Amino acid sequence: MDRRQFLQSTAAGLAAAGTGLQPMRAMAQGEPIRIGLMAPLTGVIASGGKEMVEGTQFWFEKINYQIAGRKVELIIEDDASNPDTALQKARRLVEQNNVHFLTGNLLANTGLAVANYVKGTGTPYFIPIIAADELTQRGRIPNVIRTAGYSGSAFPRPLADWALKQGYKRIATISQDYTFGHEQCGGFSQVFTEGGGTIVQQFWHPLNTADFSPYLGQIADLKIDALFVMETGADATRFTQQFNSFGLKGKIPLLGAMNMTDQSVIRTMGPEVEGIISAAHFAEGADISATKEFVEAYTKKYEKIPSLYGFSMYSGMMWVSRAIEKLGGKVEDKAALIEAVLKTELTDSPLGKPVKLDAYGNPIYDVYIRKVTKRADGKFWNVPVETYPAVSQFWKYDPEAFMKEPAFSRNYQGVKKS
Amino acid sequence: MSGVSRSKSPMGALVVLAILAVGVIAPFFLSRYQIGLATQILIFGMLAMSIDILVGFTGRTSLGHGAIFGASTYVVLYCVTQSGLSPYLAVLLGIATATVLAAIFALLAVRTNGVYFLLLTLALGMIVWGICLRWTQVTGGENGLRGDIRPKALSDYKDFYWFILALAALVTFGIRRFVQSPFGLTLRGIRDSDSRMRSLGYNVPLHLFIGFTMSGFFAGVAGAFYAFFNNFVSPSTVALTQSVESLLMAIIGGVGTLYGSFIGASALIALQNLVSSHTERWQSVLGITFTLIMIFAPEGIVGKFRALREKYANKH
Amino acid sequence: MAEVALTLSGVAVAFGALRAVDGVDLSIPAGQRRAIIGPNGAGKTTLFNAITGVVPPTEGRVVFEGHDITNLPPHKRAALGIARTFQITNLFPSLSVEENMVLALRGLSPQKFSLFGSPDLSTADQDRISRALRLAGLADRSATVVTEMAYGDQRQLEIALALVATPRMLLLDEPAAGLSPSERSIVADVIRGLPQELTVILIEHDMDLALGLVDYVTCLHEGRLLVEALPADIRTDARVQEVYLGKPHHA
Repeated sequence: MDRRQFLQSTAAGLAAAGTGLQPMRAMAQGEPIRIGLMAPLTGVIASGGKEMVEGTQFWFEKINYQIAGRKVELIIEDDASNPDTALQKARRLVEQNNVHFLTGNLLANTGLAVANYVKGTGTPYFIPIIAADELTQRGRIPNVIRTAGYSGSAFPRPLADWALKQGYKRIATISQDYTFGHEQCGGFSQVFTEGGGTIVQQFWHPLNTADFSPYLGQIADLKIDALFVMETGADATRFTQQFNSFGLKGKIPLLGAMNMTDQSVIRTMGPEVEGIISAAHFAEGADISATKEFVEAYTKKYEKIPSLYGFSMYSGMMWVSRAIEKLGGKVEDKAALIEAVLKTELTDSPLGKPVKLDAYGNPIYDVYIRKVTKRADGKFWNVPVETYPAVSQFWKYDPEAFMKEPAFSRNYQGVKKS
Repeated sequence: MSGVSRSKSPMGALVVLAILAVGVIAPFFLSRYQIGLATQILIFGMLAMSIDILVGFTGRTSLGHGAIFGASTYVVLYCVTQSGLSPYLAVLLGIATATVLAAIFALLAVRTNGVYFLLLTLALGMIVWGICLRWTQVTGGENGLRGDIRPKALSDYKDFYWFILALAALVTFGIRRFVQSPFGLTLRGIRDSDSRMRSLGYNVPLHLFIGFTMSGFFAGVAGAFYAFFNNFVSPSTVALTQSVESLLMAIIGGVGTLYGSFIGASALIALQNLVSSHTERWQSVLGITFTLIMIFAPEGIVGKFRALREKYANKH
Repeated sequence: MAEVALTLSGVAVAFGALRAVDGVDLSIPAGQRRAIIGPNGAGKTTLFNAITGVVPPTEGRVVFEGHDITNLPPHKRAALGIARTFQITNLFPSLSVEENMVLALRGLSPQKFSLFGSPDLSTADQDRISRALRLAGLADRSATVVTEMAYGDQRQLEIALALVATPRMLLLDEPAAGLSPSERSIVADVIRGLPQELTVILIEHDMDLALGLVDYVTCLHEGRLLVEALPADIRTDARVQEVYLGKPHHA
């Protein structure tokens, strides 16, 4: 946040305090479109938060901070990886800065807290990163839309289907013990067991586990065909390294949830990541001109291959921008903005193919089965090996019937007893 | 660390009335967001004041009050969102839970003092945090519990502010009365010398137990209404940071001053909000600010003010 | 007559291998003024602590007015009427003299549990506090905060605190320690003025002061009872002279 912005927001605050009235905002076209971006800029996942900001800025720079002739004012707030802080910042952005919509947040708990708040205010809230299933399923809030995001349990389903096609019969899962992990393992286990596979055992470990050897020791003895791994951040790095030094690499194929092999994890790693399979809507190594263009431009500017965080915020803001263009820049009507976003088909994103939202505000993607591959320059990235077209967050189930089932938890993994 | 003065000077009463009057008319001059901040300051001021009972008046520093406060918040949200209880009944249950939890903490901690008391309350608070994080079926795990639980009668943000203002005035009066009561004097006696208290016939652990439990009761009141304010609770509400921040509020305002808690809460919440919007290094800025306060006004803002006023009065 | 107030039989206090008090038998009649003297390290304060319960005896029995108090905690002994002063001033430094006295007064009254009661004092309480302050030579000082008092006044307040709850036995642990000669004489006057029916045990390093105040003297040495005698006889006792003044005098 620069000095000018500081002065502006301070002046607005003082004006509000002085007159005792909300500043009367004319709907004039001269008024900027104010966007509140929240990201974890401090705390354990600050690096991911910084990439979220980069991705957002990268998009708005590309369009010169102008949508349909209106200036864009991007107000960035640190959610400190803490839901209470996120809630406080959301209030500030909505009630003090009078933003037209909110976006961002990384951790599910921060997103859920903000979603609960905007449920009361009706403020549009776009969540390219927050993956909590319930926000576009059982606990859907109409003004919360997952532009360029994904729901937790969605992508592991095609991965499970792919695993069945490889002839894997016995699989174990290991995951961080929290909702995001429960959802991804649930999606995988449900489809894998319904297709006749067996989930031999499920390991749950606390976030920030330093030593995986107790789990690896047991896994080595299970006689499994593959291992499904759901790890994020430093846990993903440590697990992969320890799996390698335990001598299991090459013996047990690894199937990862998408964060496991995200650039934010593998960009600092070596050959131990090579060959890991994962499923996602975005593959930075895809041989598609739109993807290549984005990855090259991003790499040039930020000197790193874009991660999921950078890509998702870029595409998410692109999505909303396209909708605002259709409205001729009129963001003041919340209902119209939400309606427009829901109806917008994103055609020119780095994915290189059109994407639509389903009736629940969740995108329907072509999902790649990706493999971590070494590039000519020695860096590693994800390259598609197979594509599942138009994957719904409800897979092949009927949405209404599906949502009558319990939500995934440690105790409910949708496993079909054979 | 002097006690609250027992003087009933008309000046003091006038100042209190004037501050209350400013509080009552404030919503007419503030934006919605600022009223929200003021509400939050009042709630955390009550929490900080409950800690001041121990830190300022009993000489025991607790790092477990965030957990006691948050347990009340959890119970209120759980009762309303999961059991469909009336929010008013839920508030009573929340306060009761906090009081019982404080009593359990007290049973374990009253035989210690100094750094051992600090560490024991810290450890107990961590246990509560761990339970809230792990007992997913009840607490919602790291995602916490959410829902629009504030009663209809208080749904307007101004009405809610006035309600909390009245509650804070009542709690302040109650805590002031408590620390000045014959029992409150025994706590100050324990703060100054527990060996002398024992030789005078006081059962020091029993007094600490009652003092801690009462302090937890007030923290529980703040926590229950925090549930109405936030409509949300997660493990961060019972985490160590919560305990540390509210202790910091009491210290910045001035321990043993009671009213200082509101000053400390204002300073911390205002700084957090202002600074964090302008720099990512807001935590460092806060840290430096508080270090400077501790160097130049170790007795806290209200304490410093009182000391300066006395100095001035002695000169003239 | 001469009812016994306090009886110690075979009392020992051991800290690991060190026996600070080593099998002391003592019997003090009600209303007596008794001095316990002895050189540094004789075990005087440890014996006090054993009587008041601060450090419970590791062996032996302590009986006060027929109650076996060997294993009672300090506050329960206080409830039976045992009061003490501390060798190192142990007051409530940030409170006023009056608040110090109120705490001392209410130690045995249920009023101490009045959680939201008025801080105001009843007339009866006020009278008792004034009386004790007068006895201790501190009349009109009730509003002073302890930290602002001279050291000598603080020693007097020590005694006033012990007196206000009208104890049946008072233990004075070097009440004149660190005082100037003129302050000593004030403290001596205070002790002389104590009510006749009160049993008083006095530890004092200054023999001149101690012998002028008491009826009977017990001399401890290395945790054991050395001599018990009248004040007049104690000065001339060879064993006392030896432990106090050392061998050269003996030769």
